[in-house]
Amino acid sequence: MNRESLLIATLVELADNLVDDYDIIDVLSVLTQRCVEAVDVDAAGVMLASPMGELQFVASSSESMTVLELFQIQTNEGPCVDCYRDGLAITNHELREADGRWPLFTPRALALGFRAVHSLPMRLRGRTIGALNLFRTHQGSLTDDDVIVAQGLADVATIAILQHRSTIDSDALNIQLSNALNSRIIIEQAKGMISELANCNMDEAFNRLRSHARNHNEGLTALATRVVNKALNSNDLDEWVAPQRT
Amino acid sequence: MTVPRLLDIYAIMDRVEHAGSDGVALCAVAAEFMALDGAAIALISNDEDLMSLCTSNHSASALMDLEIALGEGPAVDASRGDVIEDTDLLAASDATWSTYRPEAVALGARAVFGYPVRLGAIRFGALSLFRNRPGPLDAGQASDAYLMASVISRAILAEQAGGSPGGLVGELNGASMLDFRVHQAAGMLAIQGSMSVKDALVLLRAHAFGIGSQLSDLAERVVTGTTRLAPDSREWIDDVAGGRDE
Repeated sequence: MNRESLLIATLVELADNLVDDYDIIDVLSVLTQRCVEAVDVDAAGVMLASPMGELQFVASSSESMTVLELFQIQTNEGPCVDCYRDGLAITNHELREADGRWPLFTPRALALGFRAVHSLPMRLRGRTIGALNLFRTHQGSLTDDDVIVAQGLADVATIAILQHRSTIDSDALNIQLSNALNSRIIIEQAKGMISELANCNMDEAFNRLRSHARNHNEGLTALATRVVNKALNSNDLDEWVAPQRT
Repeated sequence: MTVPRLLDIYAIMDRVEHAGSDGVALCAVAAEFMALDGAAIALISNDEDLMSLCTSNHSASALMDLEIALGEGPAVDASRGDVIEDTDLLAASDATWSTYRPEAVALGARAVFGYPVRLGAIRFGALSLFRNRPGPLDAGQASDAYLMASVISRAILAEQAGGSPGGLVGELNGASMLDFRVHQAAGMLAIQGSMSVKDALVLLRAHAFGIGSQLSDLAERVVTGTTRLAPDSREWIDDVAGGRDE
């Protein structure tokens, strides 16, 4: 598929998904995956600002612990923090050993094989609510067109967070942001339980959660909430122990 | 990056703590910070009952007692996860809180607000706020309420885990509650020790205090399987041979 077709397919897919009660984590995960395909990067993720002003990881094209770690570091420092603070895009930042700008972030990103990083602000009505982060393992720059496409996807992600609110006042935005941030915590709690029950890693635990949600047409967060609240009744969780049926 | 309003909370907290008050501190801080007529915090017990943790003054206390006695009101609804705003208790709106409304007005409230206090699927309770005249919170107050609710969820966790040696402000300043490994570890421990994720998170926090470890470091050891809970005694086992592949 060429990029134009891919983008059209992505927008159709999203329009189809952005109906009542869609799951924000699921939609953002899909969006970051499409971003990887459309902009020729190797990993993409969304970080949103918590009420306390820290950035929290919300969704990514990959749920592997190593990629999640790169978002975790950015609670304190990194391209997303700078992008969120200044409200300005960071593009084609080449990662170098001697780079003193992000002393924690850069060495870890390099160790994981990434060579360049980009961060695009997620803005709504003059307020920056988070950032879309892109990682690339190979040398070479994103073109101006790439950056326009990536910023477009960041804007779509911002709209998705608002969900189906007809009025975009600041309180509606606060509620949706708070729910998106909390959804990710619920999913991590559920991943921990599933990983312990099924003796699998966190990546696999997320996959099990997501395929179960899709197979049963249930929202990811709603399902994760049910898993966490059933902590005391392990019989209800037996299904997670069995190997995943396809 | 800390939001400036968080520093305002720290300043009020510092002063209230030095004034020597103990359990009531959080509600006094909330009422002063929000510039409203009263604040109360309700906790959900393991039996799903609502209990008053603290109130900022006599009216706030009477309102909370009323709500607990009736089982209806802003804190009851907010503790289930929704943000509640009733800007005029005398306005004939719908049939909600039909008993609570007139009695709350008699106790001096005209507008009431409820914010969930939660961490993922863990519901700690709610922050309840009131004002003696009608009208919504302004945009600044509304985002302050989310900030205050976040601070309260972290403070309650620290309190239930037996207090922080570094003091509450030190505890709140750490970004460990945004560390996905902490929530994964809580999920794993819930299964290992057959307990709720909430109890598992409190236990994890308490153990980190006890051994003088950073919460994130202990969580990392749980996630990688080098530290775990004995299933029956719920005692901590360190340096588990082998660990997990994560």
